[in-house]
Amino acid sequence: MRAFAILIILFYQLCIFNQPSWADSSVEEEMKVMKEQFAVMQTKMNSLEDKVARQQKQINGYEASKQAYETRITDLEGQLAKQSTTSAAPVTGGNHLIPSKWTPEIGVVADTLFTLNSAKTDTDGEDRLNVRELELVMGSAVDPFSRLDATIAFSTSEDEPVALEEAYLTRFGLPFGSTARIGKFKPKVGKALGVHRDSLDTIDEPLVIQRYFGEEGMNKTGVDISKILDLPTPVTQQITVGVLDGGNAEDVGVFGETKRRPTLYSHLKNYIDINDATGFELGGSYMAGSRDEDSRFEVQVLGMDATLTHNFNANQNMKIQAEAFNVDRKESVIDEDDGLGGTIRHDLDGNIWGAYGLVDFRVHPLWSIGGRYDIVQPIAAELPVDGVRKDDQAYSGYLTFYQSEFARWRMQFTHTDSATGKDDNAVYIQGTFAIGEHKHKIQ
Amino acid sequence: MKNFILGFLILLFAVPLSFADGDRINIVTTQTIFADLVKQIGKDKVNVSAIASPKYNIHFIQPKPSDIRSVSKADLYVNAGLDLEAWSDPLLEAAGKSKLFRNAEGNVDLSQGIKLLKIPDHPLSRAEGDIHLFGNPHFQMSPENARVMVRTILEKLKEVDSVNASYYEENAKGFLSRLDQKIAEWRNLCADCKGKEIINYHDNIVYFADFLGLKAEQFLEPKPGIPPTPKHMRFLEAYAKAHNITVVATPTYYSQDAAQSLAEKIGGKVVTIAQGVGETPGTDDFFSFFDYNFKQISEGLSLSATDTSLNK
Repeated sequence: MRAFAILIILFYQLCIFNQPSWADSSVEEEMKVMKEQFAVMQTKMNSLEDKVARQQKQINGYEASKQAYETRITDLEGQLAKQSTTSAAPVTGGNHLIPSKWTPEIGVVADTLFTLNSAKTDTDGEDRLNVRELELVMGSAVDPFSRLDATIAFSTSEDEPVALEEAYLTRFGLPFGSTARIGKFKPKVGKALGVHRDSLDTIDEPLVIQRYFGEEGMNKTGVDISKILDLPTPVTQQITVGVLDGGNAEDVGVFGETKRRPTLYSHLKNYIDINDATGFELGGSYMAGSRDEDSRFEVQVLGMDATLTHNFNANQNMKIQAEAFNVDRKESVIDEDDGLGGTIRHDLDGNIWGAYGLVDFRVHPLWSIGGRYDIVQPIAAELPVDGVRKDDQAYSGYLTFYQSEFARWRMQFTHTDSATGKDDNAVYIQGTFAIGEHKHKIQ
Repeated sequence: MKNFILGFLILLFAVPLSFADGDRINIVTTQTIFADLVKQIGKDKVNVSAIASPKYNIHFIQPKPSDIRSVSKADLYVNAGLDLEAWSDPLLEAAGKSKLFRNAEGNVDLSQGIKLLKIPDHPLSRAEGDIHLFGNPHFQMSPENARVMVRTILEKLKEVDSVNASYYEENAKGFLSRLDQKIAEWRNLCADCKGKEIINYHDNIVYFADFLGLKAEQFLEPKPGIPPTPKHMRFLEAYAKAHNITVVATPTYYSQDAAQSLAEKIGGKVVTIAQGVGETPGTDDFFSFFDYNFKQISEGLSLSATDTSLNK
């Protein structure tokens, strides 16, 4: 039994250590397949490695681009941040102005006046507290070439409670750089005649203006043209010529009431900056018109004006201004019955003149003081009996308090020596107040 | 009469129309700081002059006939727009050159693109003083705003003189590059100003204060355009002591009395903050103008005043 078991073990050992040849070929085959598979995998792996390398390269490229873009974004964000503190706000300059310019500039200027004079009789009721005038001032661009301005004055006067003081069109950009006005306006003659009352340094117009051109100066319908002469000198020159409706519209003044002939006028302004703080202006004016019904231009007015301005500093300045007018006329007057039922017409040759001088000191941002001297020969059609023409003279002193840019108080004392021999002392207290938009024209 | 008409015609037509200086562009600005910016970009291709002397309050300039003449010859009119220079429109109308009028092609409004501060948020009344309708118009007081102003000037110069466009661009680039450097320098100098409070005469440094992070909300004027009153001065004295304010700022063109008086009462000092190039010695151009102002405020607040680089 023992021997039988040994035989079986030997046979088993023999089977193990002596395998058949078919078993060896199968393993090799497998090995071969595996090698082939390994080779394929190796190829794929190489391919993938190449692919990854390419992709990595691309990624690197993208990274560089990303960095460039990030730099650019940072740069743009920086610019945006700067703009956000300066310009990218919901409201920026300029944009606001668009709607506002559709409406005209409208302002109201109130001129209240308290007057107290020394006349023993006062038939005109001159001692009074009165709203002398309330001006409604309007203006706006009409189109790119022109502008319309109008001033309507309301007053407590029973004769003329409402008056159209000014209404004129200004046409810019005419040939040779000239500018024209047409309508009713104040002529550019001298200094005081061309400005509104609220721009005067005193409460009333200088006597020569009141006597020769009307209590409030001239507002006449007409047309004028101005040009700044660009000569190669340091002197700035501006010439203005115009034609106005004849007369003074009142039975006062050198041109009277008659409108037979229009009034022609011209003005030459000469200005020079003496230095940064001082300027001097010298002007000359010429007017020709008629006072009677014939066709001659028998009234001729020559005017001269001079203004010196000096700024002591930002808050203190001074103005010295003088203006003179000489009137030469050959006025036809009917002064005598010829005894035959007719009249003898005489020409009144006359030469009269008037002038004023004014000094104004702005001594403080809120205060100014000044004085004015007036002298004027009357326009009376007849010479005095003694043949010696006398003149009106006035001495005024005033104090102005500027409450704000839009409110001003002024007190003035005036002593007048009249050619008729009557003297008068008057005290005026004026309040001038502006609301709305009111910009003064630059003379 | 014939002589009268003849004389006028001779004057009107026989005078030379222009004596232009070569091919330079004639530019008139309202303020000196604008003139300097234009000069920095246009350099020798432009003739520049300013209407308003920096020694006077910009609100109340009275243009002279010589200013009218300058504007009548100008190709461009550079201004602050808005409603700061109320005399500007009458000046332009007196000169009669419609192409320079507001919104016309020759009118360069430097407020364009500026982020405005203190824009009214309620219906306005003059009872509030002489306030500005569109926001605070003193935007020239921030150097940051110069970036926008230079861009506006550059575009207009390129438009009217395209032949020299690259020249202007190069100049603008150089200016802006220097501006970047200077702004960093100014911010560094005034770094400690942030959060501090001062009292100013008029509300004209809001952009300056905004640039520095400074607080300037109390003014010697009780309301814009209204001079100091005794009652308001008493209020300011109490306010300054309560808030530990030691600096009272003012430009040169206001009376210095009120500022000096308040400074003495609060134990502080008066500091001059210029509003325009040339207002004080050492403010000859845009950069020296801000050098001066930042040094003034820095020293006034006793901060980093030892940095002498500003004087270079």
